[in-house]
Amino acid sequence: MSRFDLSRRSFIKQCVVGGVAVYSAPMLFNAGKANAAMISDELMEQWKGTGKPKFRLDGVAKVTGQKIYGRDYRAMDMDGWPDTQHYGFILRANKADHRFEGIDLSAIPENAKPSQVITAATLNDAGIKLPVFFGDKMLLEKGQTPDYLGHAVALLIFNNFASFKAAKTRLQFSDSAVIYGEKTPLTSESKDPLASWRIVRSEGENGANGVDNYSTLSDGLFFPDYVDHQPVWPTEGDKSGSTGQRAIYYADQMAQQMDEEDWFIFEQDYQTQSIEPMMMEPEAFNGWFDRASGTLHTVLTIQSPHDFYLQAGEMIEHSQYKDQITKLVVHSPFIGGGFGAKDHSIFPYYGLMASLLTDKPVHIANDRFEQFQSGLKRHPFKMHHKLAIDKKTLKFKALISNMQIDGGGRLNFTGSVTMVGASALQGVYYLPQNDITAVAYSSQNPDCGSMRGYGTLQSMSSMEMMVNESAEKLNVDPFKLRLANIMQPGYRNTQGAIPNGALRYQEILELAQKHDIWINRQQKKQQFEANNPGKKYGVGFGIVTKDYGTGANAPSTQVSITKQGKIVIRLASMEMGTGTDTSQGTLVQQYLGNMADEVFLGEVTLWDVMKLKETDSPYFISQDKQDEMEKDPRWTPVIAMASSASQSSYFQSHTTSIAAKIVFEQGLWPAAIEIWRTQFFNNDHAPADFTDVNNAHWVDGKLTAAGYPPLSIDILAHKAHTMGLVTGVMVHAFNRWSWAESEFVIEGKSNKLAIDALALQYGSGASDSKQALMGKSGYHLLDRTRVSYPNTSMNHAMVTYYAPCATLCEIAVQEGSGEVEVLATHTWLECGRVIVEKLVEGQIEGGLVMGLGHVLHEYLPLGEEGAGNGTWNLNRYQVPLAKHVGVWNLTHTILPPLSESDPTKGMAEVVMIPIVPAIVEAVYQAIGTRFYHLPISKKEIKKALS
Amino acid sequence: MSTIALSINNKAIGPIETSDDIMMIEFLHEHLNMTGTKFGCGVGVCHACTVIVDNEDGTSESVRTCINGVSRFNGKKIRTIEGHAKENEFGEIIKLSPVQETFIENFSFQCGWCTSGFVNETTVLVERLKLMPIHVSEIETVIDKALGDHICRCTGYVKYYQAVKELILATEGLTRS
Repeated sequence: MSRFDLSRRSFIKQCVVGGVAVYSAPMLFNAGKANAAMISDELMEQWKGTGKPKFRLDGVAKVTGQKIYGRDYRAMDMDGWPDTQHYGFILRANKADHRFEGIDLSAIPENAKPSQVITAATLNDAGIKLPVFFGDKMLLEKGQTPDYLGHAVALLIFNNFASFKAAKTRLQFSDSAVIYGEKTPLTSESKDPLASWRIVRSEGENGANGVDNYSTLSDGLFFPDYVDHQPVWPTEGDKSGSTGQRAIYYADQMAQQMDEEDWFIFEQDYQTQSIEPMMMEPEAFNGWFDRASGTLHTVLTIQSPHDFYLQAGEMIEHSQYKDQITKLVVHSPFIGGGFGAKDHSIFPYYGLMASLLTDKPVHIANDRFEQFQSGLKRHPFKMHHKLAIDKKTLKFKALISNMQIDGGGRLNFTGSVTMVGASALQGVYYLPQNDITAVAYSSQNPDCGSMRGYGTLQSMSSMEMMVNESAEKLNVDPFKLRLANIMQPGYRNTQGAIPNGALRYQEILELAQKHDIWINRQQKKQQFEANNPGKKYGVGFGIVTKDYGTGANAPSTQVSITKQGKIVIRLASMEMGTGTDTSQGTLVQQYLGNMADEVFLGEVTLWDVMKLKETDSPYFISQDKQDEMEKDPRWTPVIAMASSASQSSYFQSHTTSIAAKIVFEQGLWPAAIEIWRTQFFNNDHAPADFTDVNNAHWVDGKLTAAGYPPLSIDILAHKAHTMGLVTGVMVHAFNRWSWAESEFVIEGKSNKLAIDALALQYGSGASDSKQALMGKSGYHLLDRTRVSYPNTSMNHAMVTYYAPCATLCEIAVQEGSGEVEVLATHTWLECGRVIVEKLVEGQIEGGLVMGLGHVLHEYLPLGEEGAGNGTWNLNRYQVPLAKHVGVWNLTHTILPPLSESDPTKGMAEVVMIPIVPAIVEAVYQAIGTRFYHLPISKKEIKKALS
Repeated sequence: MSTIALSINNKAIGPIETSDDIMMIEFLHEHLNMTGTKFGCGVGVCHACTVIVDNEDGTSESVRTCINGVSRFNGKKIRTIEGHAKENEFGEIIKLSPVQETFIENFSFQCGWCTSGFVNETTVLVERLKLMPIHVSEIETVIDKALGDHICRCTGYVKYYQAVKELILATEGLTRS
């Protein structure tokens, strides 16, 4: 029987994976060979500062050029790998309307010929194909038409860098390297839509927070048939019919009302462009199939190492190599920016394929042209909106929207991006009824994925543009129109769900309308234009609220404390620049009085200790199936999550906090009581009166309670270890817009916790029975005695966690060039409780600038002139420079939390959105022309001015 | 093929034979395994790959390594990101340069891919200001000009620029009032 004749999950259990980053990077780094240094403990210790981080936990490594990124590694850096390696070059089609007939490598000099040429035929022979998520045609077969521009046709393997370089130089921009045959229709023309969503809601008689007549949350989702590759929705409305018929009934009713009522109707088309994420580190891969040991080693540059782990297993399982591989090693170091482009990217699977088919380590690294050509893009949206407003009350009455989304030539996250974009359209506003249709189509363009904003940037910006223009047409102050329509806590969103928590939109609007930029805009326009002939001045504003999370979040954390008092955190999250390691290392201070000494990220198989298993898609599992499965204490809806969707600050923090709290309550606190009881109290004569944990306080890193002597963490940790108390905690949680809750018996007492799996480590002084409970794994895996998962119907809510953000901007337009000069911006952000303020500020500033790129600078044409043709780079694609962004006048206000119990909300995406409509409006206020498509180019402004 | 010899971070490299079409960043990465200098665009636009070339007259200049062939650096003294901090006898980093310090204390970078370019460019700027101090009123303009071509995708540049301004103001002899 084949050693690989196993289920996917059992295969994974056999794997040995070293998911490492930050401080574990030296573990995989052979320092002696790579001319790099380590960082002294004394220098690293300084990161803790005095009560708040002095610098990022990864700051020293990054500022000194240490080898910490996936792209940095070569075979010679990897312990145990051969020193020499192959270099791979992926040859791609730059036409999608001709049949592929083969490749021509004659331009390569003899001394630079590839040692291997891997084609679709090679893959067929080896049984290698992409994981199902990515579809088929990993390499295009001869005679087929490429699905998209940039479709890979061959992988060339070279024995050394010199031949790789010589060959690539000759092939990369060659017209003859890929041979094309007859012209054919685009394959996308014969495909059904990639996704279709329709969000209908009709408010019930009790209004915004009463029971709805119809909503996706209360009634469920419905989908169209496809005829001639177009969606066909139910046409006959029936109030008592199926879900779809009921939806159409209320949608028709709304449309009729819009025709009949004396409402102000605003109707407009909007369009957004294709955008390159342009993370600074292009994707790279190192791999080595060590046939002697049956080990497949990989070094990745991705945001979702756990998903790679699963899908690599799937790919291997179907290949002819399944009998030869017993171990899969996944190294997941830091990544140099992601913005969603490294979340479920197809790239590492080409590396995996190369590793399987070569006899030495192989290095494949995109240059920037290749990254533009083959990397995931932001989805272009075409939208038609129709908004009805009561002329007297200024209340929004109804919204009809039709969106068309370009998903590119290979399906990635287009389905969920389309859904999230559609559900986000309402922005901060309440709509009593809505009919939002969003359909995503295949095209010849590079595949689109989960780029920062996830569809909301496109849709919410257009809503704000509508509001700004509607206010003008209604002749009302735009703030007045906004204040008349903002969602209030308890109101239902377009899906019929109630957003969680306080919605502090009014507070932000009231702050913004008092800001100097807004108050003085008319006076300043006169002054500025008088003082600056040839320049036009304008002010614009936008406010949005962005969801964070996916509706199936599954964070895991391990927090442990060494006998010497060192705090060590292990996380599933990756570090792509947002500061997850720093924030999580800071977060534990609340419970452990001190910041972490080490934070390990990108852990993958560590969590196997909890023996969790998943069975169904968390989005489509039935309630009955969930009710049945949850009886198994090892079952969870989802085992792991990617580092995306602004998840770490809220979701990862949740498990880190709970794990740290248990370490404190079950380890350090009883240790402290024991020390105080035996050393500082008449223990033989009276019961201790200081055991109430509510009296515990950390002061200057030491624990005190009820006036007893402060104890340092090293003393407490030593005692906890000696007593055999809890010194390490691993937890897993699940969130479907609400946390799963479970009960666990710890030390004989039942504890209700917002997690669904728990494993404990006890100190070295633990009794034999406790040691036995930990067993070989070193963890005592507890069985939950009860669990309550959020109902599966919450999937219909689509999103309910939001963080709002607003931006006010003042600009000058140069009449001669059409260039927009950002004079100043001010941003308001409500993100609950801030963990590390500097990190939040960095997101505000960086997000705003990325938004400026979207609205003013960044543009990729679609089709053959676009990124898929392989000729795009930063010499043609303008990302914002400091001179474009008002760098010295970029300010912000972070709203203080309502209380210290506020959630630490995800905010890494929302911060880039409000600047988009704000700039569009400011340009209008400056030159009197409205733009409905992005970006607004200098050329178009100049044309408008002329 | 060309034979080149140069100094990198005060270490003699070569003579070594290299292909004429090898860019300096490829030489650093593939021949010397020094990957602190980052590849961003490969066409000289993003400036992530900037290193310092120290001239014989005591001045320094920043040079992009992705568009300059390795032969351009023959006989030159180069400083890369790996050469700024001080190390102890065990090869451990124990002290950062003032530019590195101001960047980490201001949380200037996020993903860090552009950081080596910013560190080198700012180092050249600070060293130039030591020789030719500027009026305090010129600081922002001087920073704009020195760093203006460097691309950062994460931070919005604000914390880089603030950090450099703070360093210039705090370092004796760089400004005059």
